[in-house]
Amino acid sequence: MLIELSGVSKIYNQGRANEVRALSDIDLTVEQGCMVCLKGPSGSGKSTLLAIIGCIFPPTSGRAAIAERQLARLPDRFLTLHRRETIGFIFQRFNILPELTVLENITLPLLPLGVPPKERRQRAQELLKRFGITHRAQFPAGQISGGELQRVAIARALINNQPIILADEPTAHLDTGLSREFMAIMLQLKEAGKTIVIASHDPLVFEHPAIDRTVTIKDGRIHVP
Amino acid sequence: MAQSNLEKQLNILDYALSSLWRHRLKSLSVLLVFAAVIFLLASFQMVTQALSDKAKQVLTHTPEITLQKMSAGRQEAIPLAYRDKLAGIFGIRRVVPRIWGYYFDEVRLANSTVMGMAVDEMPEGNRLDAALAKGAMPGPDEQGRVVVGHSITKALDLAGRTTFSLFRPDLSLKPFEVSGEFSRDTDILTNDLIVMNLADARDLFSIPAGLVTDLCVYVANPKEIDTIAKKISETLPSVRVLTRPQIQKTYQVVFGWRSGFGSICLLSALAAFVILAWDKASGLSPEERREIAILKVLGWETSDILAVRFWESVIVSGLACLVGMTAAYIHVVYCAAALFRPVLMGWSVLRPDLHLLPRMAVGDILLIFAFTVIPYLAATVIPAWRSATVPADSALGG
Ligand SMILES: Nc1ncnc2c1ncn2[C@@H]1O[C@H](COP(=O)(O)OP(=O)(O)OP(=O)(O)O)[C@@H](O)[C@H]1O
Ligand SMILES: [Mg+2]
Repeated sequence: MLIELSGVSKIYNQGRANEVRALSDIDLTVEQGCMVCLKGPSGSGKSTLLAIIGCIFPPTSGRAAIAERQLARLPDRFLTLHRRETIGFIFQRFNILPELTVLENITLPLLPLGVPPKERRQRAQELLKRFGITHRAQFPAGQISGGELQRVAIARALINNQPIILADEPTAHLDTGLSREFMAIMLQLKEAGKTIVIASHDPLVFEHPAIDRTVTIKDGRIHVP
Repeated sequence: MAQSNLEKQLNILDYALSSLWRHRLKSLSVLLVFAAVIFLLASFQMVTQALSDKAKQVLTHTPEITLQKMSAGRQEAIPLAYRDKLAGIFGIRRVVPRIWGYYFDEVRLANSTVMGMAVDEMPEGNRLDAALAKGAMPGPDEQGRVVVGHSITKALDLAGRTTFSLFRPDLSLKPFEVSGEFSRDTDILTNDLIVMNLADARDLFSIPAGLVTDLCVYVANPKEIDTIAKKISETLPSVRVLTRPQIQKTYQVVFGWRSGFGSICLLSALAAFVILAWDKASGLSPEERREIAILKVLGWETSDILAVRFWESVIVSGLACLVGMTAAYIHVVYCAAALFRPVLMGWSVLRPDLHLLPRMAVGDILLIFAFTVIPYLAATVIPAWRSATVPADSALGG
């Protein structure tokens, strides 16, 4: 089991006046090669759940094992080390650094891994070719189209060949055409064996045939209709 | 593992370089201000270093005690006969008469210092022989022979001569022939100096027999200078007694170089902090926060992000050091410290065409480094710890 959560809760700012209970008692397992959609209204806790799966922070209580590693036991530094081997992130608005070139953006996760420049370029070129944006490699990322940006973001999530791909509201700022294209690429990745979790309340996503399972979250709990 | 750690540092350095390049306008302005601070600091240090070297030189040629007769607050000729009164003071090695004065040279439009010395009476080590580039000091019988400093040689060379004449007070001419030259190393002391024997100087300035300008006292044991000076004062109450340590102290006050250097150091450290304050006071900009959050969520550790800031600062301050110090060297050696000229001119011991040979010791470079680069590094990298407070999850949407 690649993702295994049981009784997971997350409380932000615990013990302080601005304490927020974002997740309560979440049980969730995702097998390798599955594509799961987390759905739910705004503020329900989707991003928080994604952050725990993505090894950004451990749960306040409960057990979370990602790629066979118990998060609660890991100090911050090892969370980071585990994250970069395991998780590829695709963000809402893609979080591309606009001043860097497309190539530089894609290879950002490889720098702290000590991958030498030549190999970085080589790996990025392969992905650029796969997504048909080779001609944009040296463009500042701020100057390319939305569709190209989306492919750059996906390429960046794949650069270290991580087994798990997480996407937070990836289609929130895309038109229908680009949203469909996004899901088509996700399908390809799933077929290539990636495990994918997407947080979205876009029907184009959760009604997509490639989605194996939709998990609905309400007020930080899994909602069983 | 070590290999990949090196690769990682290289990658981070690479990222720091491209980050500097992306913000090249800001980087360049910080670099320029920083280089200017180091330029001033290094110039100042080189000049004071060269000056204190010169001062040391001057002092080695100064007699241990100089006696001058004062009357109504002015110096006047001192009777040679005073020598006999000093005979009873224990510890005095030798008392040597000296006649000197200034001579305004209408050709050079500058003052020369004319010095009549009884070289044969002076102790071996104090005869200025070591300062000679060629020739010999004029002996007591060598009438009309002079040893001259560089500015006078230069003027004579231009005219293609080795002889010249000076006016006596009654406007009659007294001829001289150059028999020796001082070396350029002793410029501060000898640049405009004309040395002749005592009799010639007496003749040139028309000083009556039995009188001289001052008496130079050489002592047997330098530790006794103060005691002997005190005894001389008691024996000859109307005489001003100048000791070498006193003169030394005066030089130190004139240069004030230690305190001056100290305050400039502090100022530049301050300036470095100002640059930085301007750079960082606003805290992390939204763009920076966003960049940090993205890097973190992509697997960069806080220490990696700090390393980027560190390399950026090292590159900027290293370049600034290089540029600033090179410019300072050029300024001091080839432009004769033109910027400090107005300040230097106020230091009376300096001649206008003083040739400075800056000596930059490793220690000085390290000192300047310590006072500029290290505060800058500390001040740029320490606030970068704030990047640790940027949570990675702020890169997530929602
Ligand atoms: N860093 C934080 N500090 C404090 N509270 C937070 C933090 N992040 C999220 N929350 C709160 O936790 C709850 C869940 O937020 P979360 O972002 O996970 O919801 P979401 O389902 O992703 O919402 P959206 O659809 O708007 O993205 C919300 O009440 C939110 O205000
Ligand atoms: Mg969200």
